Amino acid sequence: MIVPKNSYMLQDRNLNFDVVDDFNFNSDNTCYYLRGGNGFGKTSFIEKIVIPALKAANRQYLYIGQDIRTQLYTLRALLSMQGHKISDTNEYELLKIWVRQGQTARTFILDEFDKYFPDYNFIFDWSRSFIQNYIIVTHQSFEPAHAGAEGLKATHVRFELIGFDGQVKNVRVRKE
Amino acid sequence: MRIYNLAGLLEQYGDQFLILEFNHLFVASSIREEVWLLQRKNDSALIDRIIQEAAAYNLLEVDADRDFETYSGGQKAILGCLLTLELIRARGIKGLKLLLSNILNSISDDNRVKLMRFFAKIHSSHHIRLFTQKGSELQELFSDNDSTEK
Repeated sequence: MIVPKNSYMLQDRNLNFDVVDDFNFNSDNTCYYLRGGNGFGKTSFIEKIVIPALKAANRQYLYIGQDIRTQLYTLRALLSMQGHKISDTNEYELLKIWVRQGQTARTFILDEFDKYFPDYNFIFDWSRSFIQNYIIVTHQSFEPAHAGAEGLKATHVRFELIGFDGQVKNVRVRKE
Repeated sequence: MRIYNLAGLLEQYGDQFLILEFNHLFVASSIREEVWLLQRKNDSALIDRIIQEAAAYNLLEVDADRDFETYSGGQKAILGCLLTLELIRARGIKGLKLLLSNILNSISDDNRVKLMRFFAKIHSSHHIRLFTQKGSELQELFSDNDSTEK
């Protein structure tokens, strides 16, 4: 069990999560879709709760965050330092090299990647052979029909605002 | 294949459109500073309107002096739109072509509906034309002909 149901307070983000279901991000062949209003803490939940839990469980992960611009610069620098000749490599190829290097990862986290690529089957094509579960933050209303995600069980997770005391937002996190 | 092509976006559309792009929404670091730069004064009435409007999107913690970097991505996208729309209203700007790049898909369904209502209101009162990207084409929103531009 990675994230058990509990109350999780993030002081520096002024967020309190009331997680009402157990989340086992170790479970195989699952695609978690995280949805909810803006500022309800989906990214904070990933960065402050899920990723530390994955680290504690010694489970390797790949993470594409919202700020793709910074991440692509970083990726270019990282791969250069690792000896890849990437001066003429486009971003798609950069990502491909990076994903294929991450074969020890078992979880892949994508935070609103669909805004850059509504159809990102290629992510599944590159990673499905070694990734066991995906955690996807999205504002798309329904489950995208990724050909590459066939065979994955979809679990929908909803972030709902249940209170605001003038400073801290109380957000319920539940399975749908 | 490009995932993120800001230079191409500016080259193709920069001379015709005011572009709101998800990763480059603001010049300054807070609403007050941004309004200072755009209005060249501390336009507190404009700031108040933005903050009041933001509350309708459940952006309850918005403050004039809060650093933009402390908001979530979607919250920044909403604030960028509200700032632009309130500025258009305050200045009486008409006939502007506005291009939203990676904005609407950063916003939750309910907030997107509210924002589109606000855009529709400004569209009719200020003859603003609103575009968004659909693949390599632009799609015009609120257009009678649902036109696209390449």
